[in-house]
Amino acid sequence: MRKIVLLCAAGMSTSMLVKKMQEEAGKMEYACDIEAFPTSEATKQGAGADIILLGPQVRFAQNKIKQQCPGIPVEPIDMKLYGRMDGKGVLEFAKAHMGD
Amino acid sequence: MEGLELAAFQIISAVGSARSCYIEAIQKAKLGEFEEADKLIEEGDEVFCEGHHAHTDLLQKEASGESEGLNLLILHAEDQLMSAEAFKIIALEFIDVYKNFKSLKAAIQ
Repeated sequence: MRKIVLLCAAGMSTSMLVKKMQEEAGKMEYACDIEAFPTSEATKQGAGADIILLGPQVRFAQNKIKQQCPGIPVEPIDMKLYGRMDGKGVLEFAKAHMGD
Repeated sequence: MEGLELAAFQIISAVGSARSCYIEAIQKAKLGEFEEADKLIEEGDEVFCEGHHAHTDLLQKEASGESEGLNLLILHAEDQLMSAEAFKIIALEFIDVYKNFKSLKAAIQ
């Protein structure tokens, strides 16, 4: 099962997106574990993830998080998808990145 | 998603991107890449405007008596907006400092 971790400043706005992504994953019957955390917990929560997605407000921390979670792809979420809370779009983006 | 909620996410997404651009501009200036830093400031300004428009629409609605009330999410969006605004000022100052630093270093050498 895939593990998708979303990071943002406080984990607040992103948790809404997680809900939307989980709904879409359910519809697609795509088995995955999706959770949101603040970037301060990147090392702990990013471990074991298949992909880490960053909210637009923490995109600047991409390099630092890559260092904290070596070997795990760290990708910023497209601003337009995030602004629309497009769970389907973000899930498809993540799937494409993982080659699913 | 409802109107106010959607507006909040549009604001968070746009000004959040702007904030990232401003911080990345400082990171570029630190490396001495000042053209890149300027580009990031411009990019940040463009997306900041998008968020600002969404916020202005809300203000105008409220002024015309169509207020949709308040929630924590819209407060969070305003918080992000203020943070982005402040970061622009800080980024511009930092870029100046790094420029001075670079020319001082060159003068010493």
